[in-house]
Amino acid sequence: MRRELTFLLALWKANLLSAMEYRAAFISQVIGMMLNNAVYFAFWVIFFDRFQEVRGWGLDEMLLLFAVVAVSFGLGVYLFGNVMRIAEAIANGRLDYYLSLPRPVLLHLLASRSIASGFGDFLYGLICFAVAGRWTPDAVARFVVGSLLSMIVFLSFLILVQSLAFWMGSATLVSAQAANALLTFSLYPITLFDGTAKFLLFTILPAAFIGAVPAEFVRTFSWSTLAHLLLAASLLLTLAVALFQRGLRRYESGSAIQVQV
Amino acid sequence: MSRRGLKYWAIFKTQLINGFAYPGDLLARSLSIIIFLWVFLFLWRTTYRAVGQERIAGLSLRDTLWYLMLAETIVLSKPRLSSTIAEAVRDGSIAYLLNKPYNFLLYQLSVGLGDSILRLAFNALAGGLLVGLTVGPPPPLWGWPLTLVTVIAAWLIDFCIAATIGLTAFVTEDVAAFEWIYQKVTFILGGLLIPLDFFPAWLQAVAQALPFAYTVYGPARLFVEPDGGRFVTLLLTQGAWLAALGMLLALLYRKGVTWLTINGG
Repeated sequence: MRRELTFLLALWKANLLSAMEYRAAFISQVIGMMLNNAVYFAFWVIFFDRFQEVRGWGLDEMLLLFAVVAVSFGLGVYLFGNVMRIAEAIANGRLDYYLSLPRPVLLHLLASRSIASGFGDFLYGLICFAVAGRWTPDAVARFVVGSLLSMIVFLSFLILVQSLAFWMGSATLVSAQAANALLTFSLYPITLFDGTAKFLLFTILPAAFIGAVPAEFVRTFSWSTLAHLLLAASLLLTLAVALFQRGLRRYESGSAIQVQV
Repeated sequence: MSRRGLKYWAIFKTQLINGFAYPGDLLARSLSIIIFLWVFLFLWRTTYRAVGQERIAGLSLRDTLWYLMLAETIVLSKPRLSSTIAEAVRDGSIAYLLNKPYNFLLYQLSVGLGDSILRLAFNALAGGLLVGLTVGPPPPLWGWPLTLVTVIAAWLIDFCIAATIGLTAFVTEDVAAFEWIYQKVTFILGGLLIPLDFFPAWLQAVAQALPFAYTVYGPARLFVEPDGGRFVTLLLTQGAWLAALGMLLALLYRKGVTWLTINGG
């Protein structure tokens, strides 16, 4: 475990040093993403200016929701940037490189890339949390725990969906659509959905565990919300790792010459 | 059609035919519109119920959903050219395209439109089915051809803005940040996420004074409430923006080509 952590830290350090070689591009992506998110949030400012609240959700609730989702998504793609490219790596036979080295394949693959704009999302999430004004130590602790569990759910779901590439060949489009749906649904108030839609958001497309449930946990502490979050995160992570490992046994490379830059 | 026009028509047609080769791909892509419209359906149905009014700012729930269907169709089907052009500038491949017997920008426009027409059909079909089945029949049929004309004009305005962003790669090399911001400005000031009618009056005035409203809101609003006068006014405004942004693009392109530096070969 300690060995893996040291390895992860070394990869993140290498990613950061590489990003700093193109400092202007890194900074422009970070600032650009923060502005991008701010403009997107303007929708909710306009919406609640006109309608005040919808089923118990107002601007404050949306700020906390955006804070949690932006931090978890941002940190996820900044630290494990290849999570968006697993299907592509499988289809193109790019796992050969990772298989030939004495390190955990999935962890190595995920952390080998860093998406700079994710850092912008992360900072934007922190700003949203600060603006929401819940600055008590226990709220900060809940925010950290909620965001980390949300990140685990997000990463695990993407690993699960993209691992389908081991069986389907090309799963790039399916994964892109699944990621798109997950993010879209996680950024809307959960109270909008009822019946089947709500059931889907807690199961097949676990967007509720990325946005609404952790945001609710940040708002008010409850053992049952924490238990639900922990259960969802651990279950999905176990499933994701198991499916990836199972798929790895089916992996066939095209023996293409690979150069890792 | 002149010989020059025929050349770009042929590029457009080739790209269009190319699209028919991947119907599965097109179908899978139209899943996006279903996802977005499904979320909007829940959001606006709940909002209309909460407000307890049949119409908000002159739009019924059915109008709002059909408006959003067309707005999403326009944006999800439009050519995505900023990054293509920026990539050609950054990796130097523009140098190989510049000496071909066509205008680089018109070539990109023909390719982009060829890609978009089929996407438009698939997105409109998928989105239309969902909205039709959930909130009721579409707006009157006679307004559809008028809307289509304004959608093409909207794409041309969008092309001028997107290509201008792409060409800034001559100076900045990376244009991703500009692209995101333009996309999100379209979401709000273009009226993609919410019709401008729901904005406070001052923001409506700001949005109407900018070109983004004529790339999404204008055609989508005409679609739900077709009217000859509205069509003419919209088309004239689109024409004025197209002339202004087209000139800016041509100027930037001419300057950019003289700045072009190719690293290696």
